[in-house]
Amino acid sequence: MLKGKLKLDVTNLDNFEYDMSKCIKCKGCTWVDHIYMPGMTFSTRCPSATRYLFDSYGAYGKMRIGTAMLEGRMEYSDELLKILYACTLCGACDVGCKRNLDLEIELTLEALRIKAVQDGKGPMPQHKKVAQNIAEKHNRFGSPHANRNKWLPGDVKPAEKADVLYFVGCSAAYTSPEIAQSTVKILKASGTPFMLMPDEWCCGNILYSVGMVDEARELAKRNIEEVRKTGAKTLLLSCAEGYRMWKVDYPKLLDISTDELGFKVVHLVEFVDELVKKGSLKLKKKVNLRLTYHDSCSLSRLSEPWTPWEGERGEWGMVSPRLERRRGANGVYQPPRDILQAIPGVELVEMIRMKENAFCCGAGRGTKEAFPDFASWAAKERLEEVKAIGAEAIVSTCPWCKENFAQAASKDGEKLKVFDISEIILAAI
Amino acid sequence: MAISQEAYKDLEAIVGKEYISSDPVVCEGYRSGPGGYECGLGYERVMTKIPGCVIMPRTTQEVQKIVKACNRYKVPYVPYSTGWYGPRSHCHVDDELLVDLKRMDDFEIDDKHLCVTVGPGVIYSQLQEEAMSRGMYTIVGGGGSQCSAIANMIGDGWSPLSYRIGLPHRRILGTELVLPDGELVLMGSLATDEDSFWGEGPGPDLRGLLRGFTGLRGCLGIVTKMAIKLLPFQPERLEPTGISPHTTLELPIKRVKWINFTMPSKDSMKKAMFEMAKAEIGGGVTKVPIFWRAIAKASCKEDYWDIWSKESEETISSFHLLRVLLIAFTSEEQMEYEEKILNDIITELGGEARRTRPSDESWFKNADSAGMWLMCGGYISVDYVIETLEHAIPHGENYAELKKKFTPPLMPDYGDPGWFQSFELGHQGYSEFLVYWDPDVNTDGVDHFYLETSKENIRKRFYTSLLGPHQPLYLTGPAYGPNYHTWLLKVKDEFDPLFICHPPVPLAHDEFVEKAEWMRPMKDWESPEIKPSS
Repeated sequence: MLKGKLKLDVTNLDNFEYDMSKCIKCKGCTWVDHIYMPGMTFSTRCPSATRYLFDSYGAYGKMRIGTAMLEGRMEYSDELLKILYACTLCGACDVGCKRNLDLEIELTLEALRIKAVQDGKGPMPQHKKVAQNIAEKHNRFGSPHANRNKWLPGDVKPAEKADVLYFVGCSAAYTSPEIAQSTVKILKASGTPFMLMPDEWCCGNILYSVGMVDEARELAKRNIEEVRKTGAKTLLLSCAEGYRMWKVDYPKLLDISTDELGFKVVHLVEFVDELVKKGSLKLKKKVNLRLTYHDSCSLSRLSEPWTPWEGERGEWGMVSPRLERRRGANGVYQPPRDILQAIPGVELVEMIRMKENAFCCGAGRGTKEAFPDFASWAAKERLEEVKAIGAEAIVSTCPWCKENFAQAASKDGEKLKVFDISEIILAAI
Repeated sequence: MAISQEAYKDLEAIVGKEYISSDPVVCEGYRSGPGGYECGLGYERVMTKIPGCVIMPRTTQEVQKIVKACNRYKVPYVPYSTGWYGPRSHCHVDDELLVDLKRMDDFEIDDKHLCVTVGPGVIYSQLQEEAMSRGMYTIVGGGGSQCSAIANMIGDGWSPLSYRIGLPHRRILGTELVLPDGELVLMGSLATDEDSFWGEGPGPDLRGLLRGFTGLRGCLGIVTKMAIKLLPFQPERLEPTGISPHTTLELPIKRVKWINFTMPSKDSMKKAMFEMAKAEIGGGVTKVPIFWRAIAKASCKEDYWDIWSKESEETISSFHLLRVLLIAFTSEEQMEYEEKILNDIITELGGEARRTRPSDESWFKNADSAGMWLMCGGYISVDYVIETLEHAIPHGENYAELKKKFTPPLMPDYGDPGWFQSFELGHQGYSEFLVYWDPDVNTDGVDHFYLETSKENIRKRFYTSLLGPHQPLYLTGPAYGPNYHTWLLKVKDEFDPLFICHPPVPLAHDEFVEKAEWMRPMKDWESPEIKPSS
């Protein structure tokens, strides 16, 4: 719909016809913000456009392809599915575009995948396997559900009832237990009583990301209801992907605002930052590391809260009622940096592409499952940047990033250390 | 497959299969519109096609081989660096090969001789950052930092910072050009050796072949390398700051400073420009369209219209904002000196300084040029003039008057006469007239206005830049030549006898008028029969 009634509803691509048709091919979605342009190297922020080079893989190409899909001019093919899914949905394009314009690029990319699923063509086969795992075992790996809480250290006992509920997520529960273990130890050290979900299931991040909205919506309803039943006031996550899912995509799927969830969604870094600034948590131990911080996309530019919007588009493309667009400016950028800088011995060196200009690790939103080589390539690209600034370690706030970086580094025999921020915080307590 | 299998195989052998595709999805991604510069208008809808095949060469030799293969198989082709210039840099005929040059991003900078050699894949913000980090700078054209430096240098290439140095021709020191038949021509200093300091090479100066005033939009071959003169800058860093969308360069105000002045009249702005030039002060000066202020203040499209709707013909005609950039190239004392002189000039002319932010996001590393599409969704600059200030200012006023007849569909601008400024320290005057429209209404009136500006230039004897590749050649050629169109076609014929390099440019606008029924009633000039190219 170019004019007339409109809703920010990703389940109907019609809602984004205007956005697709107004892409001006400035490629602000691909380049680093020109103000921060570092020169000839590390000058792009879109992994997909940088890896595959053809314009069709940049958001400008996808907007044109999406218009053709909407107009019924485009047949599904392997190449079309690759263009839709060999993309990390990392939001770099969205903030780049919204630097100057009011176009909803990220939502359009999500809507395109949803349409592919609605048309019976998406997602990729590997995603269907993950969906099956989630349906059968409630985790994305297909591991036994009974093992979900195996990570829990013997010396930490969650409370039966507490204001804070720690949602562990599949990654930390099964493949990156050190993150969950560090997180609960930090909570214990800060004297924060916390509980776990009586029966935690996958958050459904992959389901939503690949366009399987019906399945994702069912999980959202179930999970929100489970948290509400516990009476928790704060839902704490140590996974950036999960954080975005709970804070942004659950409300989006259920047509409610983030505030209407009935509890606050908080990432560990926001929680710890507050404790440190209040003096409730002391980071006293020396951690001698020259490290750099990688902004996980889902904690940074993709994490602004969701508010449903419905209205009309009229003359000059204006919408009414007024729409507060999510431009990525209020992502969680500073708290992790403040935490790291508060740790004695830590020398924080920034990467060339940072905050809203950061280059995605390449793992998230279904990419690593369907396009592992691309995910690995993206991680290596990022690690080149770490080398360029001479850091000895890279720290992120998401198990997806950590795992992807660690695998890329070990494949290349790199000496680079890869940490989750929870591990660094714990080391400093 | 859109081009013959035989041709495809030959082309694939040149670049490797990873860098060529005729997949319809890949090709769709190279569609010109519906959004972008000049897009959504009749020209884009009628004249552009998606490519039949896309190829991405890495080297000049590969480009030569591609072009020779195109000649061998009679495959039309168009060079494409970023695709930013809208329909005129996209495919115009069926089964055309789009030569995407983004992989050709070689970059070699010479600090000692203040010059840089770049490939067509290098954009301005990359170049500017590399230059500034070495104490030099370049002029980032109004098109913005996303422009390929080469494409902009042979097409447009000016900004308020052109105040000191004028048109970009003289900063093109050397060019490597693959002619439409695949032969290589080296121009300027690239013709003699690897030292790009000098702009002149042996034989006649061929730079005019590429651009003249504005360029020929890729119909005379593919520029694969260019040596560009850089300029000495002041030593302090322009510090990037803020989080998107509020990113800006913080200016070291003892060295670089914008000052906005309200002036009593348009005439006083012109006088200020002359007086500044006489005193040889300033790094840039401009009178910009007033709605740009509204864009700069607006947080979103709706906010823009809240701000802009408060204006009227009265407020616009009585508001004269002069923006002056001071650059202390040599020392902080230079800033003090120039600011004093400037204040004397402005005071004498009855102007007044306004509070001005000590930052820049518009002209050093133009991050905000895409904002031209914020308010309406459609934008084009219908004309550029570089002549004298006496000529440039009435040019804009005249266009503002003419525009009233075409508003709507054009955006109301309450008679604003556009953008004017002085170039080359007052020796030249510049006028650019920008128009905006809602692409989702009938835009025939915009097409009419665009062509009508050409006729108005002829009627009023305004000198203009947008001739051959932008307006009907048989309309402007006899009026400005009187025979430049025949010469241009002879040159085209000589270099591209098969007419396969970006056809039907330079006759594309002629063909558009023939093809678009709503344009035909405007045709009141003689031309031979224009056969549609596809």
